Amino acid sequence: MASLMRLSVRRVASSVSRTPKRNFHDKLYADRLDYPAPNCRFVQEAELSAEMQALKVKERGDWKALTQADKKELYRMSFNKTYSEMRAPTGEWKYVIGGVCIAIAVSGVIYGFQKAYISPPLPHTMSDEWQEAQLRYQIAIRNGPVTGIASQWDYEKNEWKK
Amino acid sequence: MFRQVVTRIAGAVRSTVIPRNLQQPLAATQVRGYSAKVEETDEQFDARWEAYFNRPDLDDWELRRGLNELHGHDLVPEPKIVVAALNACRRLNDSAMAIRTLEAIKDKAGSHKNIYPYVLQEIRPTLEELGISTPEELGFDAPESDKIL
Repeated sequence: MASLMRLSVRRVASSVSRTPKRNFHDKLYADRLDYPAPNCRFVQEAELSAEMQALKVKERGDWKALTQADKKELYRMSFNKTYSEMRAPTGEWKYVIGGVCIAIAVSGVIYGFQKAYISPPLPHTMSDEWQEAQLRYQIAIRNGPVTGIASQWDYEKNEWKK
Repeated sequence: MFRQVVTRIAGAVRSTVIPRNLQQPLAATQVRGYSAKVEETDEQFDARWEAYFNRPDLDDWELRRGLNELHGHDLVPEPKIVVAALNACRRLNDSAMAIRTLEAIKDKAGSHKNIYPYVLQEIRPTLEELGISTPEELGFDAPESDKIL
C-alpha cells in the first residue's frame, strides 16, 4: 500500500510541476520517445542554482574538461528521463491486476450479502419436486413428439428411449 | 438614374478590389497548383539536413525542431547528418542535446542492433574532437530506479 501511495504521489508530482509557482504560459516539459528534444529544458532558467549556473558557464568551454559527473548533471538539467528510463518497465501492471482482483472480490461479497439478507426466497417452481412433476406432465401430454421431450420417451416400456 | 449610380459604383469597386492582372484573361501556359509529389533522392535529403545543421546561425529552437523532425522520418540519419547536428550542439553549448541525439538514434534503430554501433564508429572522430561522451559511457543505457515512473 505504501508503495502504491508512493507511486501515485510520484505520478502527480511529475505531472504537475517541480515548483508550485508556474504560469500557464510557461512551456511544459514532457519526455517523449517520438520527440527527442522537448520544447524547453527540464530545469527552467530561473530555477538554476548557483552550482548549475557555474556548470553552464563551464559547458561553454571545452567539453573535454567536463567530468562524467558534470555531463550527467548537465543532461539532467536539460532532460528528466533518458531513453532507457522512458523504455523501462514500470511494474504498474501488478497494481492494475491487483486492483481488478480486489474489485471483483468486493462485488462478490456484495452479491453474497444480497443473496443472504436482501433477496426474497426463490419461487416454489424452482424446487426439485415441482420440476419433476412438470417433466411428467410434459410427457403425459406428449409435448414435442418429433424432436422434443415426447420423442425421447418410450410410451410402451414407460421409460426413456435408449 | 438609380441604375446608373449602381453601375458606376460597381465599376469603381471592381477596379479597386480586383487587381488588374486578374481581370485580364489568364495566360495559356500557366502553372497549376496541383499537390504534385516532388521526389527527393536520398542524397538530396541527406545534403538538405546536413546543410540545415551546418548553418552557423542555427539557434536552439531550430536545432530542437530539426532533431524532432528528423526523428519523425522513417529512417535513421546518416552519420554525416549526425556529425553536423553534434557540431550544432557544440556551437550552441548544449552538451546534453548531443547526448540526447545519440540516444535518439539508438532508440530509433529499434531492433536493428547493428545501426547504432555503425553510426558510433563513423562519428567517433567527432565525438573525440568535441569531447562528447556516449550515453553508454555515462551509464544512461541502464535506467535509474528513481526516475522510473
